[in-house]
Amino acid sequence: MPAKPAAPIRSPTVADAIPAALYRGRGSPRRVLAMCAVGALVLAVFASRDLPSWSERLAGLPYAEAAQRLAAEWDDAMEALGLTRPHEALRSALKQALEWR
Amino acid sequence: MLFPTLGFLLFFLCVAALLAALGERFTAKKAVLVIASYYFYAQWDWHFCFLLLFSSALSYLAGLALGATGERRRKKIILGVAVAAHLLLLGTFKYLDFFTLSANQLARLLGLERELPFIEVILPVGISFFTFHGISYVTDVYRGDVAVCRQPLDMLLYMSFFPQLVAGPIVRAAYFLPQLARPADLPIPIAAALVLILGGLFKKVVIANYLATGLVDPVFAAPTSYGGPDLVLAVYAYAVQIYCDFSAYTDMAIALAALCGFRFPRNFDQPYRAQRLREFWQRWHISLSTWLRDYLYKPLGGNRRGRFNTYRNLLVTMLLGGIWHGAGWKFVMWGALHGGGLAVERMIMPWLGGARSTSFAGRVIATVIVFHFVCFAWIFFRAEDFTVATLYIAGFAGGWSGGVHQAGPLMVGLIALGMVGQFTPVRLFEPIAARLQSMPAWGLGVTAGIAVAAINALGPEGVAPFIYFRF
Repeated sequence: MPAKPAAPIRSPTVADAIPAALYRGRGSPRRVLAMCAVGALVLAVFASRDLPSWSERLAGLPYAEAAQRLAAEWDDAMEALGLTRPHEALRSALKQALEWR
Repeated sequence: MLFPTLGFLLFFLCVAALLAALGERFTAKKAVLVIASYYFYAQWDWHFCFLLLFSSALSYLAGLALGATGERRRKKIILGVAVAAHLLLLGTFKYLDFFTLSANQLARLLGLERELPFIEVILPVGISFFTFHGISYVTDVYRGDVAVCRQPLDMLLYMSFFPQLVAGPIVRAAYFLPQLARPADLPIPIAAALVLILGGLFKKVVIANYLATGLVDPVFAAPTSYGGPDLVLAVYAYAVQIYCDFSAYTDMAIALAALCGFRFPRNFDQPYRAQRLREFWQRWHISLSTWLRDYLYKPLGGNRRGRFNTYRNLLVTMLLGGIWHGAGWKFVMWGALHGGGLAVERMIMPWLGGARSTSFAGRVIATVIVFHFVCFAWIFFRAEDFTVATLYIAGFAGGWSGGVHQAGPLMVGLIALGMVGQFTPVRLFEPIAARLQSMPAWGLGVTAGIAVAAINALGPEGVAPFIYFRF
């Protein structure tokens, strides 16, 4: 007896969030990794002010103390290089905007 | 683990490194994503991983049973048992406390002395979403809209994929499972994903968080302490906050899925520009509204059994949609308002002149009316409980001469910014993403790093959880 053909599967009536025109270029998992790694490095440089408070949330974990010390040292080094200034300037500008009446 | 945190960045870096290292090994990649998703979920409470696993196993086995039988009656029984089991799980964790409290209140009113024991059940994050995924799968298999999933790994990934696990979008089985059959033959849209992530971060970290802490939370906490202008501005602020919060989450979820090689459906489409309430629901949380339409409204009979039944079906669907958001009378009221509004709109549609107004003035008036109706309903959604919501509404009646106390210029500016975003040309992000497409990966990384650092500096200290996490 011939095999019964599979029932046709209807495609769902939902639109893709990212339109097909944007699936161009050479996007690959390696390029995704490269973008994330470079992005994380740049973020560590320009957002170093938040690293110590983030590392405090690791309290209780075996490597917490080392991470906290490293975060504080890294932040000090970025401050010495003047790389924390854009972060501080943006924060203080927004603080002023919040207090403005 | 929240998306806009350093912890999540490190987690995603590990996932990206593993996916890159695995090259073309698609099955191994799926296994990595399942392990990563369970690790992600375990960050809230690892005990609930077993619940997620049980829900996945239930869906998988129900799918196999449906595929193994050709008899319609047996199929119906299997579907009924599977859907009931999913709903029982959801009901136990999400609604048991609500029903116990309501039953005890009713018992006291009736003068009965015996009360049901109250067990404080912890609500597992994302249970509403993965339950709907499970129901979607078994129903689609029953209807023949999706093939039976015979790979346990695929079912585990469909139910647990971390970008959508805790707050959606609700991805249909018929949409997602075919993507797990073979690797995507399209390149990863890195630039589009980056634009979505940056836009989402800005909406969440800057707009939603400031509106919440600076205006919405204080006014909704004590509405009787504020006059009319603050109350009105706080409702507008909440309308913008919830949109920016939730659409930010789904934008980031869509982007993260894309970076892992998967497509997600659109979930928001400038909802506050809607001219009809029906249109609002075609633009707001699209994955939920279409889910409710296809798995609840249509099975109830939809608009096929006369006018009265259509109105009833709209009301029932939206009432249940309201309850899906949370166990409480305020959500029942929110659902009833939307259901009633949709029914009335349908009733008067001939006088409204169809689905869209033709004149400019008509379009403006229709948009303003729909927006304010939605805002009114948001009061019940946001207020601590039903009583606070009624106090809030009562506050509109007086205190208009005292001026604005809580809403500063920045808050008003953020509300305006959020509203402007509703009327910008559709899909503004496409040309921006298209321009970034030609950049090398390191250039995109530098852009991402600088932009995220700037958004982080602009935002308040710490990140509040996303609103939809509690649903």
